[in-house]
Amino acid sequence: MFDLEFARGTLHDIALAIMMIVYFIRLYWLTRFTAGKERQAPTGRGDTNPRKGFIYSWGNVGMPWAMESTRSKLFLYFQFVIFHLGVTAAIILMFSISFYFKDSPLPPQLALAFKIIIGAAFTVGVIRIIRRIGSKYIRAISSPDDHFSLWLLTTWFLFGYMAAPNNLAGGEWKLLTFFTMGSFFLIYVQFSKISHYLYYPFTRYYLGKSLGRRGVFPIKRFQ
Amino acid sequence: MAKERSHKAQIVIDRLGKKLNRQIVGSLVACVHCGNCTDACHYVLANPGDPTYAPAYKADKIRSIFKRHYDWTGRIFPWWVHAKSLHTDEDLEELKDIVFGKCTNCRRCTINCPMGVDLATFNRMARGLLVSVGVMPEGVAVVSKDQWEIGNQMGVLKEDYVDTLEWLTEEMQMEYPKSPGIPIDTVGADVVYSINPREVKYDPRTISDAAMIFNEAGENWTMPAEDWDMTNFGLFSGDDDLGGGVARRLYEKVVELKGKKLVISECGHGYRSTRCEGPNWAQHDVSFPMESSVITMINYIKEGKIKVDKSKNTEKMTFHDSCNNARSCGLTEEPRELLNLVCENFQEMYPNRTENYCCTGGGGAMSMSEYTPQRLISAKVKADQLKATGASVVVTSCHNCVDGLADLIKHYKLDMKVTQLVNLVANALVIDKPIEVPTEEVSIPAAVTPVVAEAACLQGYKILVADDEPDFVTFVSTVLEDNGAEIIKAYDGNQALELARKEKPDLMTLDITMPGKSGIEVFEILRSDDELADIPVCIMTGKPELRKLIYDRAVKPPEGYVDKPIDEESIILNIRRILELAKSKGK
Repeated sequence: MFDLEFARGTLHDIALAIMMIVYFIRLYWLTRFTAGKERQAPTGRGDTNPRKGFIYSWGNVGMPWAMESTRSKLFLYFQFVIFHLGVTAAIILMFSISFYFKDSPLPPQLALAFKIIIGAAFTVGVIRIIRRIGSKYIRAISSPDDHFSLWLLTTWFLFGYMAAPNNLAGGEWKLLTFFTMGSFFLIYVQFSKISHYLYYPFTRYYLGKSLGRRGVFPIKRFQ
Repeated sequence: MAKERSHKAQIVIDRLGKKLNRQIVGSLVACVHCGNCTDACHYVLANPGDPTYAPAYKADKIRSIFKRHYDWTGRIFPWWVHAKSLHTDEDLEELKDIVFGKCTNCRRCTINCPMGVDLATFNRMARGLLVSVGVMPEGVAVVSKDQWEIGNQMGVLKEDYVDTLEWLTEEMQMEYPKSPGIPIDTVGADVVYSINPREVKYDPRTISDAAMIFNEAGENWTMPAEDWDMTNFGLFSGDDDLGGGVARRLYEKVVELKGKKLVISECGHGYRSTRCEGPNWAQHDVSFPMESSVITMINYIKEGKIKVDKSKNTEKMTFHDSCNNARSCGLTEEPRELLNLVCENFQEMYPNRTENYCCTGGGGAMSMSEYTPQRLISAKVKADQLKATGASVVVTSCHNCVDGLADLIKHYKLDMKVTQLVNLVANALVIDKPIEVPTEEVSIPAAVTPVVAEAACLQGYKILVADDEPDFVTFVSTVLEDNGAEIIKAYDGNQALELARKEKPDLMTLDITMPGKSGIEVFEILRSDDELADIPVCIMTGKPELRKLIYDRAVKPPEGYVDKPIDEESIILNIRRILELAKSKGK
């Protein structure tokens, strides 16, 4: 029987299991490719090294001033922050309801916090949809997967916003949709662009390590 | 029914799998199409409204092939993730125009990508795949061939190279009789100096300036007679075999000469190829230290081995960071430190260092004449950057950038000239000991001037100047006449040929684009005519894309080639070099 109990229990567990299995297969697949080796002696500034390079590279995401592309577009950067906080909050909400608040509503302050973060992420999602369709540059590089992933998450945020109190008084359809979409999201993620979270540590690690060895990272800016 | 695939397309797909490593795969799968890289690219900025120049768009042309053959979703639902295979030779040509014609591998998008996607690296990989099936711009094919077969990317023969070094030694010793000149193949030298063939072919002054600095510092140095090229077209063509082969030749030469250190002259891609990528391509651990000549020169000044007087370089100067030096080797502070030691008026350019824009001649673009128009359009970004500095001189540590910048300066009519640090250091050099000169002139003050011509040094030579720009003919003729040459002037190709036959000049300067017969036609007729074939020719052109003339092996290449705009000193230096080499060969 497909009901809320099933969606936040069995379906959620199955989706989570599939996600984890595929996640490890993906990791295995990536690590089967040999990593290129750098034989060169270090170049550049003496105050940096591969370790500093990859730490800087990983931390780059939290340093909007570090890259011209984020420094000059702070509005886009904050959209990125809110959107990803929204994803994190929605996942935590899903787990919280599944494991801790199965039979009771969320505490009001906690529900409000979820509503604010997920609601903001929904707003950013809408802005991003408009940008993806409206900008000639973004449209040209967007595949059906790019559009679908964005619509999927934005809609999920909407239902997350509505489901946040975990209150069945208004009908269970909001929670049911939120959980069903969440489970679909967990399965779909490894087959779509959303899997970038898996690759991020690798790409930035190798770039940072290489550019750290070459004295480029951490980037020093002089005005 | 499966679509048929051409033989070449199949090979590219098969070889793609062998080229993939973890770094490249990471970059191919991690892009989220956020568009943050878009404004980082000079091609995009100079072509507003055209999304096909966007780094992510260009990257997707390569990524789509990877997805179709290696990515899970792309193999099952290709349309969903824009996965697409290669089928025809036309597909390969289309890809060629993107990876060679729309990207200089400058890596500016890489450092602006939140995901750390390194487009330049897999763009180079794609170039290599195409090159492996013979799909590449003509210039890339010619230069690669020369580097494989002759050992340097400009096809400079050993005889011409050694003759040039010996001629430069004679020049130096005329000015400074005690100068050791340029030592060749000295075993056990502390420094083995490697150069860009462009220096031999077009800009020998950089060699003599470097020699003057080494000698003044009392350095025990040498230049190899063979395997001296530190440039590496493998970086541009994506051919790791070529890259490894060229790098290994140089490394082995240093070992053979028992050199203690390899010093690499100012060249961005040469430095990156030799110092950073070469050991990786060649799978060769290098046992001796390698450094940029910029660092060598700073050390000489700091250690008191040479003295410089910055008041010798008074013009307002700015510095252009080579992409390879700044974004791939971390060489950003040393050139500035040196520049501040040898010039009085340095004006920083913005953005700079790792954020600097490409000169637009990078990635081998100067050898790909078919893409020159779009390269020059994209150069507007750099031109605006240069103009904003208000400087009259742009200094760079890269020969490729010298050509790229000179080209855009001419195209955008900027009142600037390009120079390198070695020229400025040589100009600022202070020599304590009195200088002996073999002339009756008053003694030269205790500072070295660049290699300059003595008055009437061209006395007795008859030179034909052929160019359709009357102002240019007048300028060159005046310079040469002032130095004693007898001048004959021609303003079109037919007239040039007629006068060459009639006057049998000792040398001919030749523009490429002229009315009537073009310079190329004139050149080929000259070379094919037994009576005229030995007349030395110096090409003087504002069309660098026609460099291929030099590499055209159907006839003997011209003895000299100079890019416009050209200054008086370069004219004299090049003409004298050609005439004296011709004389020494008994022409």
